[in-house]
Amino acid sequence: MKAALIVSMGLLALGGCASQVVSIRTVPAQTPAADSAAAAANAAAFAEAVAAEAVVAEPAPGSPVRDGPPAVPLLTPADAPPMYTYDPWERFNRSAYRFNARFDEAIFLPVANTYRRAPRPVRAGVHNFFGNIAEIDSVINYTLQWRLKYGLRSLERLLINSTIGIGGLFDVATKLKLPGTPTGFATTLAKWGMHPGPYLVIPLLGPSTLRDGVGFLADYGAEYGINVAGLYRGNVSWALGPVNAIDQRANIDFRYYSGGSPFEYETIRFLYVRRRLIEDAGLHGKELPKKPAVDAPAGK
Amino acid sequence: MLLIAFALVSSATFAIQAEPTELPPQSQPAPGPATGLSDSAGLRATVFGTPPDAMAPLPAKVPLYEINMTLPWRLPVPEILWFDGKLRVWLSAQKNPAPLAIVISGTGSDGNNKTISVLRAALYGAGYHVLTMPSPTFSGFIVSTSSTGVAGDLMQDGHDLYAAMQQIIAHLPRKVRITDIDLLGFSLGGANAAIVKSIDAREGKLKIHRVVMINPPVSLFGSVGRLDRLFASTIGPGEMGVELLYRRLYVQIANLYRASDRLQLDQNFILSAAAVTLKTDAEFSQAIALAYRLQLVDMFFIGDLYAKTGAVIDPERQPKVGDSLEDIQRDLRAKPFADYYTKVFAPYYLKRRPEATSASLIAANRLDIIADALRTDGDYYAQTNSNDLILNKRELDWLQDTLGSRIVVYDHGGHLGEIGERQQVADMLDMLAGRWPRSGQ
Repeated sequence: MKAALIVSMGLLALGGCASQVVSIRTVPAQTPAADSAAAAANAAAFAEAVAAEAVVAEPAPGSPVRDGPPAVPLLTPADAPPMYTYDPWERFNRSAYRFNARFDEAIFLPVANTYRRAPRPVRAGVHNFFGNIAEIDSVINYTLQWRLKYGLRSLERLLINSTIGIGGLFDVATKLKLPGTPTGFATTLAKWGMHPGPYLVIPLLGPSTLRDGVGFLADYGAEYGINVAGLYRGNVSWALGPVNAIDQRANIDFRYYSGGSPFEYETIRFLYVRRRLIEDAGLHGKELPKKPAVDAPAGK
Repeated sequence: MLLIAFALVSSATFAIQAEPTELPPQSQPAPGPATGLSDSAGLRATVFGTPPDAMAPLPAKVPLYEINMTLPWRLPVPEILWFDGKLRVWLSAQKNPAPLAIVISGTGSDGNNKTISVLRAALYGAGYHVLTMPSPTFSGFIVSTSSTGVAGDLMQDGHDLYAAMQQIIAHLPRKVRITDIDLLGFSLGGANAAIVKSIDAREGKLKIHRVVMINPPVSLFGSVGRLDRLFASTIGPGEMGVELLYRRLYVQIANLYRASDRLQLDQNFILSAAAVTLKTDAEFSQAIALAYRLQLVDMFFIGDLYAKTGAVIDPERQPKVGDSLEDIQRDLRAKPFADYYTKVFAPYYLKRRPEATSASLIAANRLDIIADALRTDGDYYAQTNSNDLILNKRELDWLQDTLGSRIVVYDHGGHLGEIGERQQVADMLDMLAGRWPRSGQ
C-alpha cells in the first residue's frame, strides 16, 4: 500500500512535468448562487458585529477619542510596521517558494482536487477528525498563554467531539455554540512577546516566519509526544501527514501564480507578515502592543 | 498549519466581496474631471459591484475545465517568469450542441476572476458554452501568447487574441459541439472583443457572430490617463502616498480586529474590515486608482523586460530567479501609464513601425479605428453607464452616435458596477441572441 502510494505520487509528478501542447482538466465546479448568498450573509453579519461592538472610527488628528471611553486605545498610522519586510534569507526563501509552487501545481493541487470529489460527509469527517486531534494542542497552548477561558472551551470541544462526535468525526461542539478556534505554539510565543523574526518559506508548507516555524515544529512535537491513539507512532503513521496535508490543501482556495504577477513572492510575504502582526496586536487585548511592534530591523 | 496563510491572501489587493449594509453619510461630489463621468454613486458601485439582492438569478452549479496551452509562436520565456509560460483559459461546456460565448477579461486581469465568474454563470445558465480568457494585458497572457511582449496596442493584442482563440477552439474536446461563436468583453476586454471581430470579418477563420462590449473604453490612452490622474490626485505622486494609504488601512483593520472578540484574522474579516473603512469618495477613488496601478506594474515590468528598453530593468543585467524584485516593484508603483508609454511602448513600436509617429500610435489605440464597422455592422452591441469613470462626455456621445440603438446606457453602476444585475444580464442575453432592440422599444 505504501509502495503503491509512492509510485503513484511519482507518476503524478512525472505527469505534471510532461510538456504537452494542451492539457484539459476538470476543476471543481463553481457554485455562483451559493457564493453570492454567502457573500451577502457575510457582509450583513460583519456589519452587525461592527455595530454591536460599537467600535473604532478613523482617529481624527487631535481627537482620537469619540464620546465615551474608547473600548480599546487605538493604534495610529505611525504604529503601522514599515512596508519593507525583514527577509535576510531571501535567496533560500525564493527558491523554496518556487519549489512549493511547482510541487503544488504538479502534485499537491491535483491530488487535493481529486480528493474534493469525495462525498462531502467523508471530507467533513476527515477534516473534523484532524481538527479534533489538534484541539489537544490548543488546550495546552491556551493554558500556556494563560487564556483559560478559551482553553476551557477547547477542552469542552475535545471532550464532546471525542465522545458524542464519535472520535472527532463529527463536530458536535460547533452546533452547541462552541466554535473551534485553534491556537498553537507560535501564538504562545507571540503572547510571550516574541517578534516574528525573519520571514521564512518552509519547503512544502509555505510562507512562515522563524517564530511560526518553531511553533509549528513544537506543535508537531507535542502531538507526536502525546501520540493519540497510537496514530503518530503506529502502523499508519506514514499516511497521517499526507492525509492531513491533503485535507488542509483541499480547504484552501489558493493557486500559486494565478495572478501571473512577477511580484507574487513580494505580495504574499507582505500580506502574510502584516496579517501575523495584526494578530499579534490582537493578542495584547486592550493594551497597546509593546513597542517596537515591527517585524524586525526596519528593512533597509 | 501554515498553509492557512494562503487562504488569507488569495484575493490580494482590493477584491472586496460585498458592500457593507451600513450606509455612510452622503459624501461630497466626486473630484473633478479626473474621474471622467463618474459621480459619487459611480465610484461606490465601481468598488463594491452589484449588491447581492440586485443580482440576476444564477445557476447553482457551473462545471469548469481548466485549459493550459503552449502556443507555437510564444517568445522565449524569461526565467524569472517561468510560471507564465502557458496560456490558461477556462471552459464551461454544455452537454448538447450550443453557441460558444467567449469572454475577454478587463485590464491586467486573468480569465477566472470574480467579474468574469458572474458573466460565466449568467451565460452558462442561458445555455452557452462559455470560454473565459485573460486580458492581453495580463502577465500570463503577455508571456504565453503575446508575439511582442509589449502589451497595450489594440490591433497587435487583437491579432494575438484572435490567433489564440483559433488554437484553443481547434483543441477543444470533440464532445463540445459549437453551433455559433459570440464574443463579449468588459472594460478593455470590450474593445479587444470588437477589434477581434473586425479582424475576423476580414480573415473569416472563426466566423464570429455577435459582440457585446461591456463598459468599453473609447480612447485607451484617454481612459488610462484618467486613472493616472485619479491616482495622482487622491494617493499622490510617488511611493509616499502608497505608504500613507497602507498605514491607514493597516491600523484600521488592526483596530477593528483588536476591538472584536475574534481569535483569528480570517479572510472574510480582512475584506469586510477593508470594506467598512472605505467611506468617502476620496477613499473609493484611492481603491480604484491603486487596484489599477497594481495591474499596470506587472505589465510595465514585463514590457520592459521583453523590449529591453531599460526603463526599470538594466538590459545588461536582467534579474535572475532568487533576486529580490522589491525595489523594482517599489519604483514601478510610483510610475504612471505615461511612463510606460514613453519609455517602453513608444520606443518599441516606433522602432518596428517606421511609418508610425507618437501621435499615430495614440490614434491607433482608439475604438474609432473600426468606426465604420461599428456603425454599419448590426452585430456590434454595447452596454455602459452614464457615470463610468473611464469615459468622458464626448466619448459616451460618440459611442451612442456610432452604435445607435445597439447600445444601452444605464444611469448607475460606475465602471463594471452593474455586471450581474438583472437588467444588465437580461439585456446582454437579448443582444447576444439577436433580440435587440426589443420590439416596442
